[in-house]
Amino acid sequence: MRAGVRGVLPFAVLVLAWAALARSGWLPPVFLPPPAEVARTAGEMLADGSLWAHVGASLGRVALGLAVSVPLAVTAGVFVGLNRRLAPVLEPIAGFFNSLSGIAWLPLAITWFGLGWLSVTFILFNTIFFLVFFNTLVGVRTVPRILEQAVRTLGGRRRHLILQVLIPGALPSIVTGIRLGVGFGWRALIAAEMIATTTGLGYLIYDAANFHRTDTILVGIIAIGTLWLATDRLLLIPVERWTVERWGLVSRTGV
Amino acid sequence: MGWRAALATWAALLGGVLAAWSLAAATLPMPAYVLPPPTAVLEALVDLARKGILPTYVGESLRRIVQAALVAVAVGVPAGVLLGMSRRAAEFSYPLLSFFQSVSGIAWLPLMLIWFGFGERTILIAVNYTVLFPVVFNALLGVRSVPQIYVNALRTLGASRWRIAWAVLLPGALPSIATGVRLGLAYGWRALIAAEMLVGANGLGFMIFSAQPFHLTARIMLGMGIIGVLWTLLDYFFLRPLEDATIARWGLVQR
Amino acid sequence: MTAKITVRGLRHEYVNPFTRERVTALDGVDLEVEDGEFLTVVGPSGCGKTTLLGILAGLVPATRGTVLLGARPVTGPGPDRGVVFQEFAILPWRTVERNIAHGLEIQGVPRAERAATVARFVELVGLRGFETKYPHELSGGMKQRVAVARTLAANPEVMLMDEPFASVDAQTRITLQEELNAIALATRKTILLVTHNVDEAVFLGDRCCVLSRRPGRVKTLVPVKIPRERRTWQLLTSDPSFAATKEQVLRLVREEVGAGDTA
Ligand SMILES: Nc1ncnc2c1ncn2[C@@H]1O[C@H](COP(=O)(O)OP(=O)(O)OP(=O)(O)O)[C@@H](O)[C@H]1O
Ligand SMILES: [Mg+2]
Repeated sequence: MRAGVRGVLPFAVLVLAWAALARSGWLPPVFLPPPAEVARTAGEMLADGSLWAHVGASLGRVALGLAVSVPLAVTAGVFVGLNRRLAPVLEPIAGFFNSLSGIAWLPLAITWFGLGWLSVTFILFNTIFFLVFFNTLVGVRTVPRILEQAVRTLGGRRRHLILQVLIPGALPSIVTGIRLGVGFGWRALIAAEMIATTTGLGYLIYDAANFHRTDTILVGIIAIGTLWLATDRLLLIPVERWTVERWGLVSRTGV
Repeated sequence: MGWRAALATWAALLGGVLAAWSLAAATLPMPAYVLPPPTAVLEALVDLARKGILPTYVGESLRRIVQAALVAVAVGVPAGVLLGMSRRAAEFSYPLLSFFQSVSGIAWLPLMLIWFGFGERTILIAVNYTVLFPVVFNALLGVRSVPQIYVNALRTLGASRWRIAWAVLLPGALPSIATGVRLGLAYGWRALIAAEMLVGANGLGFMIFSAQPFHLTARIMLGMGIIGVLWTLLDYFFLRPLEDATIARWGLVQR
Repeated sequence: MTAKITVRGLRHEYVNPFTRERVTALDGVDLEVEDGEFLTVVGPSGCGKTTLLGILAGLVPATRGTVLLGARPVTGPGPDRGVVFQEFAILPWRTVERNIAHGLEIQGVPRAERAATVARFVELVGLRGFETKYPHELSGGMKQRVAVARTLAANPEVMLMDEPFASVDAQTRITLQEELNAIALATRKTILLVTHNVDEAVFLGDRCCVLSRRPGRVKTLVPVKIPRERRTWQLLTSDPSFAATKEQVLRLVREEVGAGDTA
């Protein structure tokens, strides 16, 4: 309860300050509409369903990107990580593709797939896949060899090693990879939607700028922030708490 | 496996990829712009370098990201440390910072277009915003996670607030700050590319984006390669050593 | 008496992958461990004790020589030889009971039977009340007990232990040694235990095997005359023959520790 109040209070103060600034007349309303107007616009967009459509488009792309790339990336990361000859060779390559991930692929994606959801999803896939692949690979490679040996002396076969040692051992890294993937993915998505599609939150706010609809833009920005916080709090943090923290391990970062 | 074998595998892989790429470009029944051969990328490099376009664009992009990095360190670190010094201020600003951190600068771009116009100023502000928030956020987190005993130890010696900040909080928060700088710049570099695509008249993002409608795919690939290489160099020779050094030397923060 | 483990002409070389330099860790090791025997192995640091154990476990391939388990040659790791590692090597993502059950799970033992066996070994190593804890919530000595219980529960023919009590405090170490002695007697398992600690070697072993300095080979096998059933630390500290055996082993090890070398 108290924690809830503490979390909401700063936002309440922020909205009050915003309202005061908008009322002061110091900025023209087209620059900064008052919160009430933004709330009204949000209400209208919720009522006519347009906000839902854009939110749905963006969320659907993120979900699709995650659903396709995470299983592929974890599988690839584990199998490459198992291969002592291939792993040290592919690790820097994956690192390079990480540094390229995101929006830099957009022109090539448009050339290959045209404007539309395929290009946008391709970019999301690229971003999430390489981050998760790289972190899985590094995670697998840093699982203490002794744990593998211990399970082998218990009669464990390759299947046991993969499922019971390597994947759980790499999980702190995998979770970090997914978190970074979602973080970079959301950002790339918003930028890509501005350019390459006619749906989604990125398109919504960029299009609104053409008509100087600052109220619509602010609705979009608030939706983006809220959605990201919700994904993080409702999906990523609980996963981390249930695995990594319960086992007394520490999450490792890696961009 | 020795480094010689790793290098050999690396060279073989690179050669294989280049050969497969050339072969695919030569034989696949597609228009040339879909997959130009590696030689075309090389030609684009020579051509753009000779015309002086490439050095200019690389210089512009680097100038913007370095400027944003300097501002983030000069403003973001002190701001984060100051906020972290007071428990109240930290609790108040934490939710706000995590919200603003999660909305990338690109999402603010439409609003910034209205506020600051279509040009350089908007690019710089969007990139600065993107780099700044992770730095402030992580500086605050870093200060808050310095164990209280160090602070108390100095207090019993009669140290002032500012001496404590300088002697304990800042060094204690450095690993976290280094992580924040690295993450902020990783986000910022991508935001820069996106902003240059949307608003720019020069820079690497502009280069690859403006090449797309003319199907200058070799130029796109060249730009992507440079974007990846620049980031890899920056990360490998500057950001990663910074992070490793602070963690190794000041690794008193439990992470 | 039949030999449970037979080692003949064992040699092992490590090759540095970068410089191609070779280090001979073991050379000419011959050894027989009898069925039901508790053999302890001591020797100066770096003489190849861990290497020997690794070869017996099947984790390290020998450069030359043979290892037989009964009549079968050892070719790789298997559930017939349980290993207790110096670093514990229990899985951080499994609770105490699931770590102990791990070998049985791999063998495909049904759940109910598994639970009964686990309960028995939890009791035996004194971990009741900690079944659902994760390793990071345990002390070093408790983790070591989990490792021992995990190996025992899988019911191997032979137990191989590498300095299992090296990283626990002196008091816990004594308790664990007495517990291990009792467990060894109760289960009648063949055990080979590597240690730095001469007291421990003489307290636990039927025989104590002293290795030479690197490259390691068997220098002497010292029998310990007191029956294992009678051994408690209290009793042994006052027993003159125990003290004499200890002195003898200590002298043999000292001879192998060259000047400037610290064991
Ligand atoms: N992976 C390895 N690569 C190269 N040399 C090794 C390797 N492992 C061990 N050695 C060398 O082989 C020799 C024997 O090592 P081993 O670990 O078996 O000794 P040990 O008797 O167990 O020592 P300690 O009592 O210190 O644990 C040592 O000189 C060591 O330097
Ligand atoms: Mg050893």
